Amino acid sequence: MDFPKLDKVRRSAAPLQLDVVDAYVAGRLSRREFIQRGAIVGLSMGSIGMVIAACGGTTTSPSASGAAATSGASSGASSAPSAAGSPVSGGIIRIAGQRPVKVDPVTMEDLGGYGITSQSFEFLCTATNKDLVSIGPGLALEWAPNADGTVWTFKLRQGVKWHDGTAFTADDVVATMERLVTAGNSGLKGVLGPGGAVATDANTVTFTLLGANGNFPYLVSVFNAQSLITPKAYVAGTTFDKVPAGTGAWKLKTYNQQTGATFERNPDWWGGTTPLDGLEFIFFDATGPMVTAYQGQQVDAIIQFDVLSGKSLLDDANFNLISAPAALHRQIWMRTDTGAFADKKVRQALALTFDRPALIQTLFQGKAQLGNDNPIWEGYPYYDSTVPQRTRDIPKAKALLAEANASSLTATLHAGQLLEIPDLATLLKSQAAEAGITLNVAVESLNTFYGAQWCPKQVKPEDPPCFGAAELGIVDYGHRGTPDVYLNAALKSKGIWNSSQYGSTAFDTAFSDFQKAVGVDAQKAACNKMETILLDDTPIGLPYFYNYLAGSSKAFSGLYASGLGQMFFSAVSKTA
Amino acid sequence: MARFVGRRLLLSLITIWLLVTIVFFISNVLPNDVGRTILGPFAPQESVDALNARLGTDRPIIVQYVDTLIGVVTLDFGDSYVNDDPVLPQLAAAIGRSTKLAGLALLLTIPIAIIAGLFAARRRDRVSDRAVVLLGVTSSSIPEFVTGTVLVVVVGVQLKLLPVLATPPPNADIPTQVRYLLMPAMAMAIVYFGYIARMTRAGTIEVLQSDYTRTATMKGLTTSQVMRRHVLRNALIPTVAVIAVQVGYLFGGIIAVEKIFNYNGMGQTMLFAAQRKDIPMLTAGVIVIGIVYMLATLAADMTIAWMNPRIRLDADR
Repeated sequence: MDFPKLDKVRRSAAPLQLDVVDAYVAGRLSRREFIQRGAIVGLSMGSIGMVIAACGGTTTSPSASGAAATSGASSGASSAPSAAGSPVSGGIIRIAGQRPVKVDPVTMEDLGGYGITSQSFEFLCTATNKDLVSIGPGLALEWAPNADGTVWTFKLRQGVKWHDGTAFTADDVVATMERLVTAGNSGLKGVLGPGGAVATDANTVTFTLLGANGNFPYLVSVFNAQSLITPKAYVAGTTFDKVPAGTGAWKLKTYNQQTGATFERNPDWWGGTTPLDGLEFIFFDATGPMVTAYQGQQVDAIIQFDVLSGKSLLDDANFNLISAPAALHRQIWMRTDTGAFADKKVRQALALTFDRPALIQTLFQGKAQLGNDNPIWEGYPYYDSTVPQRTRDIPKAKALLAEANASSLTATLHAGQLLEIPDLATLLKSQAAEAGITLNVAVESLNTFYGAQWCPKQVKPEDPPCFGAAELGIVDYGHRGTPDVYLNAALKSKGIWNSSQYGSTAFDTAFSDFQKAVGVDAQKAACNKMETILLDDTPIGLPYFYNYLAGSSKAFSGLYASGLGQMFFSAVSKTA
Repeated sequence: MARFVGRRLLLSLITIWLLVTIVFFISNVLPNDVGRTILGPFAPQESVDALNARLGTDRPIIVQYVDTLIGVVTLDFGDSYVNDDPVLPQLAAAIGRSTKLAGLALLLTIPIAIIAGLFAARRRDRVSDRAVVLLGVTSSSIPEFVTGTVLVVVVGVQLKLLPVLATPPPNADIPTQVRYLLMPAMAMAIVYFGYIARMTRAGTIEVLQSDYTRTATMKGLTTSQVMRRHVLRNALIPTVAVIAVQVGYLFGGIIAVEKIFNYNGMGQTMLFAAQRKDIPMLTAGVIVIGIVYMLATLAADMTIAWMNPRIRLDADR
């Protein structure tokens, strides 16, 4: 241990940053977790490297975004160039992306919109090429909290220009935050109030939060997709194609929602000259044709695809596969307040029938990780791996059913027509049958499923959200950099997506502790509580977290993604 | 003839009114409310209610229906519920794309199918006739999505002869556009070849067996004169009717083909609108397709009336 080096970092660190450093030094955080967590609390990359070196590690690892991507198919980045030849300047890359529904940066809600707008607009904190959780400097160069995590100060990058040549300032950030707060942005709601963001000087913004929040930088990062910084004069409701004035590496040339979009290099980008001249997005409504288009050499990269549609790409030697572990998952909700699943023994019994490894192999060809019936993914720095993993146990399931007088349980399992979900429902049916549970699978169109089974409209105002939900069903959840949304909406009492109608004071308290926690140990402790409570109560089954799949032709290198519809091309180059 | 056309036009207008009415009421009895569908399942109820109020979808259904009818008459279909942009320009772009695809498919199908039908009829019960009939039955039995998929895999992915996407790059010249549209047009043409060829064959055989054809032959006209002056005009009447129906069908968009080739024509646009309860887009789209059907049928009726004066005279009585 190199104490002088360590002390140098300690002396300049804020209390919250010090907490993270101490957790790493004491071995409570892995190196990966330390880099992720350190970036969140605003430790500079130099400080992170110094701490790692002081503790005997290598100092080469931490790199921010914007630079060339690292290699490795397990991160959100494509592999290093493997085709013959060296990177060359010029050319364009053709990208297959989801067709955007709306490209209003403030109110957009679809992955297609996220992918397009993030080419021109930028975040205060952006994705890195390391994994799908870490964040790094974007328009903010550095950030730091006060001692209790209620005030966060962001130092902005200087010399940044909007595409029209005007200078980017703190006023733009303040105006953006006001627009987001007014629009009720789901990430900032309850965290930042009107007037909470103040420009201390032209390059500094101070956020005074409504309460302590250790994850605040995530809420102004790529993982809160609407938090793209727009100009001060930007009018809420304006779509990107009408006013395409960002600060990012790419300037919008053409946009047609029906066909695609083209971008050209921004010669004044703060990150320097991009190797490519431009981007061409081609919009698709389904992943199958994206894969075909790649095979027919009409696109060079795919922003996201699923195993079922893109099986052929998984073993394609010419395809640079990005297969990154992510928090993408399915929740099998069980009504805890009424019906056959009101008894937790029945819920536990059903969860005990899941053959998780078999599901992962059959549905994802192994490209997924085990779930333990709670949404705290192992990639989060505060995930607690000491909570025992639930495994298949048919005799125990039968015993629990007998205790609950439900040995001949019959229920309808509702599912939406989306990706692997109908297949998952069929597999769960056959697995549950071994414990004597009869599941009748009902697959419906997504619109019908969401509106009629998952979270029907409230009939009486006094009813909690999703009160009319079906007894049992499977619902999809996308990737998030933190689990707050899953916990707050799906599991907290009266959460807006709480289809299982789960209500637990113990869980609510643990979640509240997690939100307030600004130190690693406190967050881990709160997560341990939540994981344990959810494993016992089992309001949801969560058999797996599946990988984010994307990639490009090996003729390109350097691209990376966030797992939330955004892919970054500023460091992408073509191979000669 | 004017009376004939007038009656046809009146009938078409009634058809369009019925169409608008049916589409409107079907759209409004589908599950979920418009606000919820647009904002998604995660939106708070207050936002859904506010959106419904802004769009006017919380008004009595009859008021909305009258508004829709006025919009149809004034050709103001309003803004899309999904992206807030006016419906007409978006629809016009989709119609333009569908027109190109359908036009190329018809261009490939009609001449070849008619020639094949005539050829088979003149060689009735011979090997070549049987071959045309067999080919026609086979090609019309294979759905477009199967033909399309096979073409994509073989011609596009394996042989790399043609692009697998139908949308050409922006500002592409006409030969490039044709190259991009060739594969989906072929997928559609293969199916319609069978219908048209068999219809032409049947019509021609019937005319070839008629007394007036026999008389024409007996009075010493050459085979080509008989075919040109007496057979073709009468034999193609049922074929023209079939083509008219196919024109409307093709312009309406073949969703499966558009999906396979990622082509955003009328089919995908309408599907997208239906899935998101974009009622202005859906209503306008159905009306446009209805008008195309109406025009195609009208053109077919007039062509048939021109080819066979008896039909025209019957209608005028």
